[in-house]
Amino acid sequence: MTATKKMKFMVSVFAFAVFAFVLPATSLADLPVPAHIIPPVGEHSGEHVPQPIDFPHDRHVNDMKINCMYCHTYARRSAVAGIPPTSKCMGCHKMIATDKPRIQKLTEYWEKGESPKWKKVHDVPDYVHFSHEKHIRKFVDKADFPVEDVQQVCGLCHGEVKAMTVAEKVKPLNMGFCVRCHEANDGPGDCWKCHK
Amino acid sequence: MMKGVKVNRRSFLKMLGWGGAGTALAGCDMPTTVTLEEGKEEVVSYLSPEEYVIPGVGVWYASTCTQCDAGCGLHGRVREGRALKLEGNPDSPLNNGKSCMMGQSGVQTHYNPDRVTSPMMRKGNSLQAVSWDEAMAELGKQVSSVSGDRFAFVSGSLSGHQSVLTSELLSKVGSKNHFAYETINTSIWQAVSKDLLGDAMPVIRYDKAGVILSFGADFLATWMSPVHNAGEYAKFRQGERGVLVQVEPKMTLTGGNADLWVPAAPGTEGVLALGIANIIVSRGWNKVDVPASVKTELAQYDLNKVEKITGIQGSKIKRIASLLSERGPALVLAGESTVGQAKGYEAASAVMLLNIIMGSVGTTIEPSVSFPENALAAKQGNTSSLKAFAQGLSDSKYDVVFFYNSNPIYSAPEALGVESGLDKVKFKVALTMFPDETALKADLVLPLNSAIEDWGTHVAAYQGGSATMSLQQPLMEPLYKETKGFGDIMIALLSKLDEGYKQFPDYYAYLRTSVKNMPAELTGGALASDESFWNGLLQKGVLKTTGVTGSLTATLAVAKVGTPTDHLDQTSLTLIPSARLGLWDGRHANIPWLQEAPDQISKVVWDSWAEMHPHTAAEMNLKNGDIVKIESKSGSIETQVAITKAIHRGAISVPMGQGHKEYGRYAKQTGANSLSILDPVFDHKTGELATHATQVKVSKTRKNQILIKMGGSDVQMGRSFVRTVSADQLRRTEGGA
Repeated sequence: MTATKKMKFMVSVFAFAVFAFVLPATSLADLPVPAHIIPPVGEHSGEHVPQPIDFPHDRHVNDMKINCMYCHTYARRSAVAGIPPTSKCMGCHKMIATDKPRIQKLTEYWEKGESPKWKKVHDVPDYVHFSHEKHIRKFVDKADFPVEDVQQVCGLCHGEVKAMTVAEKVKPLNMGFCVRCHEANDGPGDCWKCHK
Repeated sequence: MMKGVKVNRRSFLKMLGWGGAGTALAGCDMPTTVTLEEGKEEVVSYLSPEEYVIPGVGVWYASTCTQCDAGCGLHGRVREGRALKLEGNPDSPLNNGKSCMMGQSGVQTHYNPDRVTSPMMRKGNSLQAVSWDEAMAELGKQVSSVSGDRFAFVSGSLSGHQSVLTSELLSKVGSKNHFAYETINTSIWQAVSKDLLGDAMPVIRYDKAGVILSFGADFLATWMSPVHNAGEYAKFRQGERGVLVQVEPKMTLTGGNADLWVPAAPGTEGVLALGIANIIVSRGWNKVDVPASVKTELAQYDLNKVEKITGIQGSKIKRIASLLSERGPALVLAGESTVGQAKGYEAASAVMLLNIIMGSVGTTIEPSVSFPENALAAKQGNTSSLKAFAQGLSDSKYDVVFFYNSNPIYSAPEALGVESGLDKVKFKVALTMFPDETALKADLVLPLNSAIEDWGTHVAAYQGGSATMSLQQPLMEPLYKETKGFGDIMIALLSKLDEGYKQFPDYYAYLRTSVKNMPAELTGGALASDESFWNGLLQKGVLKTTGVTGSLTATLAVAKVGTPTDHLDQTSLTLIPSARLGLWDGRHANIPWLQEAPDQISKVVWDSWAEMHPHTAAEMNLKNGDIVKIESKSGSIETQVAITKAIHRGAISVPMGQGHKEYGRYAKQTGANSLSILDPVFDHKTGELATHATQVKVSKTRKNQILIKMGGSDVQMGRSFVRTVSADQLRRTEGGA
């Protein structure tokens, strides 16, 4: 076994250990819930979705302390939070960690002029209109909630992303989940607010 | 659904008893079956987005509608690079931000699954996909070797720079054979306006009128510029409410909106107009002096005679005359059911006479305003050009024929022999988006971009007083790699004939240069070469300029209207191939939204149907849904009966637009084509197809099918729409202040 192969083996053993033991434990560890929000209730045990690049949310959020909305910049402007444009990834990764295989794969995409085809993890049916913008406005902007802690708000529906590599669905995101939260937090109750 | 959840009777009743949100929510926690499982759909981010692009937020771009030739301005919503919604452009003086159902469904033309996606050439007996290089090489060879007089170009209405390029191609080839063909047109109205008022396209001021008497002009749906007209009509109905009287054998959308709907015997509208004129002049209600000679001529249309010919009660005719005099300013219009006759020109002239004697000329009919650049002005389609083209075909006059936005094999009456005549043409080229009847007969099919993938400029023929050029810009990248813009093909072809065109790599480059070189009188003084002028045009979508105002001089003359004798024949009915906002002349039969929209008057959905009066149907022992054979001298069709009171007893109406033999999955083999069995009768003066002059025999078959119809009854059963009480009564009974 060459040194690099050995290295790779070790990394994969470590990754396995993280997946098998550490992750379940961390995903159960609750994020602090913002005081002004009564959190929605419900759990979902999502599948692991393989992505074209094994994007490490934990590395970016936990280690690098990058705000959710630095990359998912559309969340406060649009119904969808959006996947960051590849140009945004390359903004940092032209310089940073260029020796890592995942970054090399990303650079390959960039040089071909293509974006990776990510698999959707969080989605609601087409007859449901969900707006990130409205939720950010209510729970962050209007509540004077510090934007640097926004992951606590995002986490209510997306779980503890900082403990995941690629995102996993850990909340049911079905109507009961939504409506209970709307009732608890004085959200709109009209059918057409979501079904329009 | 409730797999694994056991509910016994008692707990079920308990659940019912609970009520309230708790129970209602119980079902909401079920995993939604349609919820997308994780990882099944893809989401692709932008590579490097423009600054203003936000996923999920639409950006609206200005463009122009090409669903009919009215040329309304559009705004298209684009999200994540896809055009999703079309609305009217508020900056367009034509449609003022409004649009019709055909405009709205432009997205279904664009996203239609039956588009032609690659050039095709006839090899042996079949059309086979070829490369653009091969297609253009063959096209160049054919066009440069054909002698000018043996080249023909068949299109719909054309305007703007597309029209300029078409004329250029024709002149380079040395041909004068441009046939602009539209089944739905206003040619006869324009011819009569030109002859009697001295102005072919006067501005019609619905808003200034107090009473509108329309002889079959369906101005709210198919006449001139429907969306524009509807806006003006709304003004006419606001304030002091104008009165609308509609004379026509089959109720149109405009007829449905009228205060008085008058079904004169088909083909007798001219007589009715002169009868009304006679009452007006004999009672001295005319607003303009009428010479004694005209009075004498009119006198022969006395009430009894007119009543007998038209079948309209004398009291009703008198009422129309007095409405014109009392509720003026008057406006009198003539549309297809009146002018679509062998003596259609005379009928329209009789109608125009009413305008003249009621003083409408100069009040509700104003001088035309035309676009100052003639080369860009609209070249309007008509049916006399179809007649000329069909004649040319039967005389074997053409070797190379281009078809653009035109499908005569479907829409021309079969008696004209267009389909068989095309066999004599050596090389037929169809520039088209869809595999329609004409395209499938062609030797070369060139797939076009959709209107929302293409560039263009449009100058509408009728603009209601403004002089505007509307810009068509692509709202999104073409869906298919192998489609091209009409202008791109024309530029590529012209480059083969003229070195001068080689400087333009594509139509965009040509358009950009042409706009840059626009003279100051077109741009309203703005410097066209300036980048900001082009950007402004992209942003607004319209170039408003100062038009050239025409002048009106009225000529008083009594037309020699015919009195049709055919309708007296009790065994035949007049066939009305009615046009409607929706399928139009058949070009929108491949749009599911328009196919599923019920007819505005008969409320029938899908398929074809034949509208018949209850009395006529009873005489023939027909009921709704019975399949009848409708036979003219030129052919026959079969379709189901829809009984309605909104038609004259002597007429049968089969809406045009259905009965395609080709044209994609939604249009193909649906219904019957009423245009195909029209007799080749033409207006003797203008050469326009007399669409309302075909007599048919109707016979019962043994077949029947369920008539699909919205609403079960045509009457209100004595009930009012909305129960109302007067304010006084409310105060008394409810104790209000």
